[in-house]
Amino acid sequence: MAVEKRPNGAFPQDEAYTGFVRKRRRVGTFFRTLFLLATVLGIVILALLVLDVANDAFGYVAVQNRIDPETLIDRYYKTQMLAMPRTLTSEDDVVLADGIAARPGAIGFFGLSYYQDRSEQLRALNIDGVAPTTDNAVSDDYLLGRPLFLYTSQGNLLRQPQVAAFVNFYLNNAAQVAEEVGYVNASAENLAEGLSQWERATSLTASTVDTLYPASGAIRVAGSSTVQPITQRMAERFQAELPFSGEFSIDGGGTLAGFQRLCRDQDIDLADASRAMERPDVAVCRNNKIEPLAFVVGADAITVAVSQQNDFLNGITREQLRQIFIFIGAERWNEVDPSWPDSAILRFIPGEDSGTLDFFVAQVFGDSLEELPKEDLLAILTANISAGRLRALNAERSLVDRAQEEMVELVLSEVVRPDVVESWSFTESLFNRDEIDAEVATIPNAVLEFKAWLNWDFITSPQSSNPTLAGIRTAILGSLWVTLIAFLVAVPLGVGAATYLEEYSKGSKLDGLIETNINNLAGVPSIIYGMLGLAVFVRYFGEITSGIAFGAADPSTGNGRTILSAGLTLGLLILPLVIINAREAIRAVPRAFREASYGLGATKWQTTWSHVLPNAIPGILTGVILSVSRAFGETAPLIVVGVSTFIVVDPSGPFSKFTTLPVQIFQWTSRPQEEFQRLAAAAILALLFLLLALNATAIYLRNRFKRNY
Amino acid sequence: MALNNSTNSNGANGKYAAEAHGLNIYYGAFQAVRDIRLQIERQKITALIGPSGCGKSTVLRAFNRMNDLIPVARTEGNVLFHGKNIYDPDVDAVEVRRRVGMVFQKPNPFPKSIYENIAWGAKINGYKGNLDDLVEESLRGAALWDEVKDKLKESGYSLSGGQQQRLCIARAIAIKPDIILMDEPCSALDPIATLRVEELMKELTEHYTIIIVTHNMQQAARVSDYTAFFTVKDDRTGYLEEFGVTKEMFTRPKSQVTEDYITGRFG
Ligand SMILES: Nc1ncnc2c1ncn2[C@@H]1O[C@H](COP(=O)(O)OP(=O)(O)OP(=O)(O)O)[C@@H](O)[C@H]1O
Ligand SMILES: [Mg+2]
Repeated sequence: MAVEKRPNGAFPQDEAYTGFVRKRRRVGTFFRTLFLLATVLGIVILALLVLDVANDAFGYVAVQNRIDPETLIDRYYKTQMLAMPRTLTSEDDVVLADGIAARPGAIGFFGLSYYQDRSEQLRALNIDGVAPTTDNAVSDDYLLGRPLFLYTSQGNLLRQPQVAAFVNFYLNNAAQVAEEVGYVNASAENLAEGLSQWERATSLTASTVDTLYPASGAIRVAGSSTVQPITQRMAERFQAELPFSGEFSIDGGGTLAGFQRLCRDQDIDLADASRAMERPDVAVCRNNKIEPLAFVVGADAITVAVSQQNDFLNGITREQLRQIFIFIGAERWNEVDPSWPDSAILRFIPGEDSGTLDFFVAQVFGDSLEELPKEDLLAILTANISAGRLRALNAERSLVDRAQEEMVELVLSEVVRPDVVESWSFTESLFNRDEIDAEVATIPNAVLEFKAWLNWDFITSPQSSNPTLAGIRTAILGSLWVTLIAFLVAVPLGVGAATYLEEYSKGSKLDGLIETNINNLAGVPSIIYGMLGLAVFVRYFGEITSGIAFGAADPSTGNGRTILSAGLTLGLLILPLVIINAREAIRAVPRAFREASYGLGATKWQTTWSHVLPNAIPGILTGVILSVSRAFGETAPLIVVGVSTFIVVDPSGPFSKFTTLPVQIFQWTSRPQEEFQRLAAAAILALLFLLLALNATAIYLRNRFKRNY
Repeated sequence: MALNNSTNSNGANGKYAAEAHGLNIYYGAFQAVRDIRLQIERQKITALIGPSGCGKSTVLRAFNRMNDLIPVARTEGNVLFHGKNIYDPDVDAVEVRRRVGMVFQKPNPFPKSIYENIAWGAKINGYKGNLDDLVEESLRGAALWDEVKDKLKESGYSLSGGQQQRLCIARAIAIKPDIILMDEPCSALDPIATLRVEELMKELTEHYTIIIVTHNMQQAARVSDYTAFFTVKDDRTGYLEEFGVTKEMFTRPKSQVTEDYITGRFG
């Protein structure tokens, strides 16, 4: 840029001047960048903080139930079924099948092979249109069918020739054995696929399998008692038919135990299983560097059958099964379907200890509480809680009148009583899923759930010592009450004082003293206010702050440790802040408005009321927002004043005991259990949201006042 | 005691709306003006002129005790209004300001609606009549009615600077004062708006007495009937150098200082 030459050479000229300008600009750029960085840094730190808290407030939890809902449901329906009139039970499927075959009004269920043996006398019913066939049994289509598995691992097959030999024998002969012991054979496809999997794992073929013999060493099996008979039979034949000189050990224990012994304890070679491995099961294996291999060795298909003499039934629905087999259901055929005859239903079902009955119940009646009708939930609840508790619940609101969802909640909280035994943060949940699965698998009866610790239940439930049930309603209400009182004390007093000091004070000695005092009070540590509150409001004016003076005392708060004391204390705490901010706001009202007002013959009060204060409101509100946020977040003075540490009763008024959100958070963070840390994180988020909402409202109001200009 | 309408400052004929006698005004230790004597004729426009800092505003504000609002200001002497010294201890400044209105250098409507701007002064002064009529009458009086009659509910700040200043004049006349004080009312306005306000002042003299401070010689010459010329010497204290009929002062000033100032050789 060309700068005109001046006669005065004292100023830099031409290039020198351009350079000089550039230099000055650089200084500006430097500071601008510095400020920008500071701002960005601030925002980033704040965001990190919130993220860190949120990270703790969401994530997987391992929930352990006092009673599993499945067990609960199973037990309930089994009891119902066994209590039905005209019901014959037998552990022997032959008895059931023959009993039904002989009676046209009978219905019952048992293993598919028993039906296949008597298809002349019996008719198998389609369930929801699906027939009980071998193929359907291994697929998911048939309601009462499930495949049966044998599990092992690649390592077992490779390292232990006797195990590899036995599995090969198993797969080649399963087709006969399953039926021998009362199950459905695995399909030829399933078995062929199993064999090719075996070949891939062992690198052997049908022609080289002989290299495994003669075999010796132990073969250890455990797991599902449903599958056990097949394995047992298989073992007998293996020992009889092939050159094997080792020992078999075959235990039950259930499918899950089998999986755990196979992968975690590694004290068995083969696991019997009546279900496939699920994610957590696989995770345990992977964590132990084991690659599980699954072989379908048979299927279990429970057949619902009637006699061939029955002339009205070919198929049945799940809903009709429910009505036929439980007590509160139907007694006569035409009650289930009006087109059916008016004759009594005769039921033939397996006995109480039968796995078949368990399976039937789980499949037909469902295994989640949400699926159950209200009446059944009520019956389950009644059967599982004490009479006293039942009376208490009925007194709250008659159980019969409650909705199904509510009953589900009740059964969960009163009977199932889920308990979080282990929890993980959001990042852990995201990146360490396998480890989590593995850990959960080691906790008996635990299920993994994703839990948002901050949820509606959390906000609306009272405090509790059980982290699964604990909420912050009491604390939120306490906070709102205390803040409201602090607001009611501090704002009128503060704005009044500010108005006096700004508009009326003549600058006398006393005014000066007041002013210095207020400015100093704003810097006093909050705990000092707590001590002041304790001495004055709790001790000295205890009669008033506990409500005794008004005859309104809550007996538990006769000592003055009430919302009122706390609110007054916090009111005093924020008073200087309100005053200082309000004074600034009043001072900022243009002189011109005051002069215009006085010029019209207005008095000082008219001027103040109609012009000064209205125009100061936005600024006053800014101060009020800051102050109220401060009061909302205070902890120390409340602890001194005597906030309740554990309280489940909502505050009912200014004379109640109370706790506040920050105090609640403080308490939770000081507990050792991880679950309380998660609750604290959720409560912090709730606190932030609440503050945000309060501030947003105040800012909205402020902007509305501003728009008047 | 109240400021009485019936007694006039100079007896029965009521020639003067107000008179200042021996007015000394101090800001703390500093004397701003010395020994001012002014007689303001009824329904005439009196212009106060003089160099910056000579105390024109100070004197103007003495007429409605606006100086009372400045903590350090102190006034000596008399300002007679209807024969009564407004600085007497038994006179309330609020009452004085209701009778002696003021329009400021910078337009300063209230941050309220146009309607409220005018109605407020009436309301606080206990006006019992029809407010709508008063608002219309005042706006017409300030030559603003036609421009704003359809938007009375809008903010006073939605108007242009000239309109705002006329709104302030309307606001001042709504409380029916005897005298209107104007401190450089046109300094923030463009020539056309200035002209409108000047015309308005002329019209207002039908009912009101006006005292105006101005830096604009042409304006003083155009609108005023009387002119008071203030100036300062080395002590920076203002005094009244010359006071008389405007035409005479602008054609044949008595003092050399006045002539220098008017012709632009000074200040
Ligand atoms: N509030 C105040 N405090 C102290 N001194 C003041 C105050 N107001 C005015 N003065 C002083 O009083 C003197 C007269 O001021 P005044 O405002 O009356 O002048 P003016 O003639 O209106 O000037 P201008 O033409 O610049 O408006 C000046 O010297 C000024 O510095
Ligand atoms: Mg001035």
